[in-house]
Amino acid sequence: MFCIVAFVVLAILGIFSATNRQLAKEALDCVSRRVTLRPCNTGFDEKMKAKILGNVITRSETAARLLNNNFELLSWIFFVMMLGSSIWSVRGLYLFYTTGSCNGLNQDAFCVFDPSGANNQISNINKPCPVQQKTASNLTLNGIDLSTFPVKNTDSKDKIVFIGCYLCDYTRKAYPLIEQLVSKFNVNFTFADYPTKESSDYLSRVDYCVYHENPDTFWKLNDRLFAADKSDLSNTDEVNQLMGGLGLDVGKMDTCIADPQTEAAVQSQFTQIVKTNFYGTPTIFINGVPLVGPKPYRVYAIMLRGLWYW
Amino acid sequence: MDLKKIRQDFPILQENLGNKPIVYLDNACQSLRPRPVIEAINRYYLKSSACSGRSMHKLAAEVTREVDQSRSAIAKFLNAAKKDEIVFTRNTTEGINLVANSLCLEKGDVVLISDKEHNSNLIPWQTMAKKKGITLKIVPSKEDNTFDLQAYDELLEKNVKLVSFGQTSNLDGVSIPVDEIIKRAHRNGSLVLLDAAQTAPHQKINVKGLDVDFVAFSGHKMLGPSGMGVLYSKYNLLEQMEPFLVGGDTVLSSTYDTCQFLPPPEKFEAGLQDYAGIIGMGAAIKYLEGIGFDAIQSQERLLNEIITAEIKDMPKLRILGPQDSKQRGGIISFYIEGIDSHRIALMLDQMANIMVRSGQHCVHSWFNAHQIKGSVRVSLYFYNTQEEALLFINNLKKIGKVL
Repeated sequence: MFCIVAFVVLAILGIFSATNRQLAKEALDCVSRRVTLRPCNTGFDEKMKAKILGNVITRSETAARLLNNNFELLSWIFFVMMLGSSIWSVRGLYLFYTTGSCNGLNQDAFCVFDPSGANNQISNINKPCPVQQKTASNLTLNGIDLSTFPVKNTDSKDKIVFIGCYLCDYTRKAYPLIEQLVSKFNVNFTFADYPTKESSDYLSRVDYCVYHENPDTFWKLNDRLFAADKSDLSNTDEVNQLMGGLGLDVGKMDTCIADPQTEAAVQSQFTQIVKTNFYGTPTIFINGVPLVGPKPYRVYAIMLRGLWYW
Repeated sequence: MDLKKIRQDFPILQENLGNKPIVYLDNACQSLRPRPVIEAINRYYLKSSACSGRSMHKLAAEVTREVDQSRSAIAKFLNAAKKDEIVFTRNTTEGINLVANSLCLEKGDVVLISDKEHNSNLIPWQTMAKKKGITLKIVPSKEDNTFDLQAYDELLEKNVKLVSFGQTSNLDGVSIPVDEIIKRAHRNGSLVLLDAAQTAPHQKINVKGLDVDFVAFSGHKMLGPSGMGVLYSKYNLLEQMEPFLVGGDTVLSSTYDTCQFLPPPEKFEAGLQDYAGIIGMGAAIKYLEGIGFDAIQSQERLLNEIITAEIKDMPKLRILGPQDSKQRGGIISFYIEGIDSHRIALMLDQMANIMVRSGQHCVHSWFNAHQIKGSVRVSLYFYNTQEEALLFINNLKKIGKVL
């Protein structure tokens, strides 16, 4: 067992040191002998044991005695631990590849492959006294009325619901990826704006009015809003200019935006969004499965099409 | 002997490995080199790296002179009748091979060796047995691994052409009664070859006094450079022997059909020689003579006595050879039952840079016959100190307690 543990450790250390590379070769020879049921007569295990004991004995004779008497047992323990941690590492790698986090979908615990946690960052919503905890397991589309939200590709059986806000960095990071996915696979796509910043409240009303005026123009405007500078989105003149640029009647849109009925409809949309129990943007449902935070493209694609998404 | 001053001559002893000094107790394998030897070798490469005995220019003349001086120094060290009895070889092994191949051995001739010869003095004869049909006979040692003259006498029959013994065993440090062995061999009409690899570093060898026929030894165990050895042979024997390796520098002249060999020792020194090694060997002998062999032996015996006294009663520890340290020169070879010798050696190295040899020390035949897996061999030299001996003892005792 010792040879296997030593081989793995030395192979890693061997990347940085020629001495360890040589030892790793010896360990490999020993491992290959063991797995082919031949005795490991290379002396490698004996050599390493002696070196370890030689180091330990200078610090503590008792520890050296314990180590010597239980070397095989300790080797087995280390082997099992190494096996466990290897399996755990492979699992982590797989989860990272498929969900963007080593710990599973929407888990924001530390992940060595995403040390900054970029794939799980969200813009928090300021919901007073939340009844339910902020966990992804509570996220749901059940009982949510999405009929008033902008939607496209309604013929597709695959469905993406995107809850985001125009001024939120993480939403702005995820949106182009989702758009790319929607374009590639013609997915039924619902967009729900939930402004976490007060300065962009009126954009929800813009969305509502433009979508009801012309759905195709809405999607173009939406793309431009996400592509525009964040500072421009707080400026109504800039937004009006974007609308005008798409051939919309800005005056008509302004009237609609200021209409109390629009405000009521938007508030009704917010109520529906809140009922999903979401706690930050972006929150994206792909065929009902919630993904919180901006994931890499592959994660969205895998969620939609499986591992062989390409 | 001013040990502190002497140790300063050895650059390696001034070095630390991992913040610990080096405790070199593997001298039977190879000794350390003092500065004068290193400087002599360097001087050749820096000042006169030319051919000896061939070219006529000044550098060649200088090398020729230095090589000649070394040969003379070695001849004097051995008390040889003349310097032409000294043949330069690569090492003891080559010296023995030279004798094995050049001596006119025939089918039915018997060669006697002891039961604890280094492979260098076993394999050449095994090979001759296969090639020429000679018979190799083994003289068993006594129970305590000392030489058994009675067993020797019993095997010393008329057809014994040569007796070839290690003068001092690298296995256990035991020296054989060479005087008596040579006398009896010569009475029988047999020649005598001494493998003096473990003897020459520790004592003067008086070849004239002993009337020995051949002596082979190496430079690397006696402060000299590695790849440099010596074969002493009585001149008349060298004259009768056919050269082993032939080629450049062995002949006076040649035609397309034949050649005229040079007289000994040249006819045995084929090809360009290791001039730096030869010069270094001369410097090593000069250094050893400066220290004095009495002082060398006295220091080794003292250290052996200290170590033997402290470790002989350790549980499960067995010393190979006689228990009396006086009979083992500078060697303490031991094993601890149930513990791999390599493990002990590696631990000593790891714990305190104590460098010893472990395994079967090229005497596999003896270990196999005695069904012992191997031993740890501590081999001392004059530059080792009592502090080093005590450090070894303390660390070995620790290992003994733990394993």
